[in-house]
Amino acid sequence: MNGILFAILAAALATVLAGIGSAKGVGGAAETAMGVLSEDSSMFGKMLVLTLLPGTQGLYGFIVGFLIMINCGVLGGEAPTLAQGLCYLAASLAIGIGGMISGFAQGKAAVAGISMCAKDDKNFSKAMVSVTLVEIYALLAFIVSLLMVISIPSINM
Amino acid sequence: MKTVRIVALQKDRKRMLEHLQDSSLVHIKQTENAEEGFVRSDKSAQLKQFERNISLTEQALKVLDRVVPEKKGLLASFKGRREIEPEDLGKIASRSVRMIGICTKIKDLEKQQADCAAERIRVKTLIAQLEAWKDLDIPLNTGDTAMTSVLIGSFPKYFDQIGLAEALAAEDKDLVYDFEILFSSSNITCAVIIVPKTQKERADNVLRTLGFTKPLNPTSRTPAEKVRRLIEKDEDLQEKMKKAEEDIASYAKYRDDIRDTQDYFTIRAEKYQVITQLDQTSHVFVLNGYVAEEDCEKLEELCNRVAMCIVEFGEAGDDAPVKLKNNKFAEPAESIVTMYSPPSHEDIDPTPLLAFFFYFFFGMMFSDAGYGLLLIIGTAIGLKVFKPDKNMRNNLKLFQYCGVATVFWGLVFGSIFGDAPAVFYKLATGNEITMQQLLPWPTLDTQKDALTIMILSIGLGLVHILVGMGCKFYVCWKQKQYAKAIFDTGFWMTMLIGFAVLGAGMATGGVLTYIGAGISILSAVGLVLTQGREKKGFFGKLVGGVASLYDVTSYVSDLLSYSRLLALGLTTGVMAQVFNMLSTLMGTNVIGILFMIVIFIVGHAITIALNALGSYVHTMRLQYVEMFSKFYEGGGKAFVPFAVNSKNFKLKNDK
Repeated sequence: MNGILFAILAAALATVLAGIGSAKGVGGAAETAMGVLSEDSSMFGKMLVLTLLPGTQGLYGFIVGFLIMINCGVLGGEAPTLAQGLCYLAASLAIGIGGMISGFAQGKAAVAGISMCAKDDKNFSKAMVSVTLVEIYALLAFIVSLLMVISIPSINM
Repeated sequence: MKTVRIVALQKDRKRMLEHLQDSSLVHIKQTENAEEGFVRSDKSAQLKQFERNISLTEQALKVLDRVVPEKKGLLASFKGRREIEPEDLGKIASRSVRMIGICTKIKDLEKQQADCAAERIRVKTLIAQLEAWKDLDIPLNTGDTAMTSVLIGSFPKYFDQIGLAEALAAEDKDLVYDFEILFSSSNITCAVIIVPKTQKERADNVLRTLGFTKPLNPTSRTPAEKVRRLIEKDEDLQEKMKKAEEDIASYAKYRDDIRDTQDYFTIRAEKYQVITQLDQTSHVFVLNGYVAEEDCEKLEELCNRVAMCIVEFGEAGDDAPVKLKNNKFAEPAESIVTMYSPPSHEDIDPTPLLAFFFYFFFGMMFSDAGYGLLLIIGTAIGLKVFKPDKNMRNNLKLFQYCGVATVFWGLVFGSIFGDAPAVFYKLATGNEITMQQLLPWPTLDTQKDALTIMILSIGLGLVHILVGMGCKFYVCWKQKQYAKAIFDTGFWMTMLIGFAVLGAGMATGGVLTYIGAGISILSAVGLVLTQGREKKGFFGKLVGGVASLYDVTSYVSDLLSYSRLLALGLTTGVMAQVFNMLSTLMGTNVIGILFMIVIFIVGHAITIALNALGSYVHTMRLQYVEMFSKFYEGGGKAFVPFAVNSKNFKLKNDK
């Protein structure tokens, strides 16, 4: 038995969990942004930027999922051994869980940023930078997942 | 920055101010009171008038936009203001009174529309109320006849023929009456009751207990007739609204003139604002302001040409505004600096450094030669076609320079629309090939060489941070705060360099390890010895010194933050790759090719939009959080010249 099932499960988990985080984050931010836009539609550009900020987690999850698929025979490469498949599963958890929870948190920060920006759009750059402070944790999770996924095919098990 | 003091005669005031406004050289000093011996003139009445006019034009334009929406291209916001000859300003001025009249008319018409709309609602309510009485063929206010009383009204509950008769009989069995039910539903029954005049009082009592009420709006016409009239009135109102709408629409051709008028009043309001800041006597006025050092000569020449006057320059103090001045390469990044905060007097202008790193890091994150080329071409077209104003021009230039960096990094990472060349090569020949094999120069693969790129990212981050700290060192040194420069900044710089050398040594296993460790330890000793110098007593100094080493965590987290250079670069590459793969899914038949073209264009458009945004935001963060925190104070006042700040037109600079 090879580990293809676990590898696919890993790809799915990375994409879905991080995607949930982003979906909730962007969704909440978009709701607030639309409230602001109903008052002043000229803020669209700024609102768009702040709304999209929690969207990166889903992207990171997707990329990890995609790289797993490339490595494990779904889109090329060789089928992994059982141990490798389990390793993929473990590696995907970093961006899956990290991305999901940081997505929730960044969504909340984005909502606050949007409210701040709505009061005075001079606050935009401050809001933007503050919201990206959360991003680093998603990035770290992503990089950990990524480095693991890239190196798993060369581990002999 | 220099202070400037212009003294001239009152008779030249208008001319002088107009020329100063056109030249945009002077930042007017705002002070509360006039100097001794001078007075300020109160222009608040005129200013209020101008502001009223400006808001009137604003409202009129809004109404016009609602009634006759303006056709605007998607890219219209890039477009620069219309250029007009200086003498055209006179024409605009002479038209302004008429335009204000038109604006007032537009506003009146809009009010008329609103009134009609309100009236229509009232009419509709009336019609609805009369609905229940439509079968009644006598007027609602019909009174008594010779022998009988006619009572018209409604009960607040449901009655049918028998039910009402029973209810009336139950209250007063001797009452003589006749009635007709016109309408009944679950909570209302409309009826006409006829009683002999002699029994009117008894009938009233009975009806009162049953909750009988007279209709709200009795009329002398039959309900059907009344409804017909109301409908006619409604149609009239509708007609009137349509007429008002058409009238408003007929003013749409003045839209540009109204905009010009708005600008005209904005310009005048600003001029009057300045007049309130002039120190005046009956014959002369004094203007105090700031002027950039390089503009002094120009200003003096201008003033002397316009009128007889005295122009004095002086050294500006700490509260003077700051005007950023940079070469063509760095100028576009000024907006990034001012978005954070203009530099204070203690700061150095960080724009040139920021500009370089901004372009460089943006390029590394966006990292695709194809996308970079699109950025360069797109912004070039924008600059050429729209001839945008200064701010928009600088924004476009910012992205153009970022595009150049993006092409550079795209070539380093071997990414041209992702791996599009390799994908198409395979599609055409059937042979597998990688971008590395295709490109004649050595490249770094973001996926396979991720670790190398991560180290490279953090290395670049170290350079970025060291440059920031170098600025701090320079600023402190210039202010003769040598201890602060060497102990607080210098030691940390050597410490970080020591770490870098140590890291390099550990990787290569050479003598560098010892050198790096040596530098780090010496720096740490230096920090322990010096960081507690403000504290009292030996123990306090020691604790302060050792505790300061804890700051190493903040430097480490700052450095790790640069791993986003790798992460975002990789994201761009992988997303592009995904779309390339998707686009070739349907093979090379006709449908497949069509599918490929659509997916390729849409996919790369999505990739560009998402990743350009990400790269912009994260580059900005790296500048603001990681670099500016090392040295930049900000909090300065921006140089805002007395100028023509119009939205619609700009004066052609003929001087």
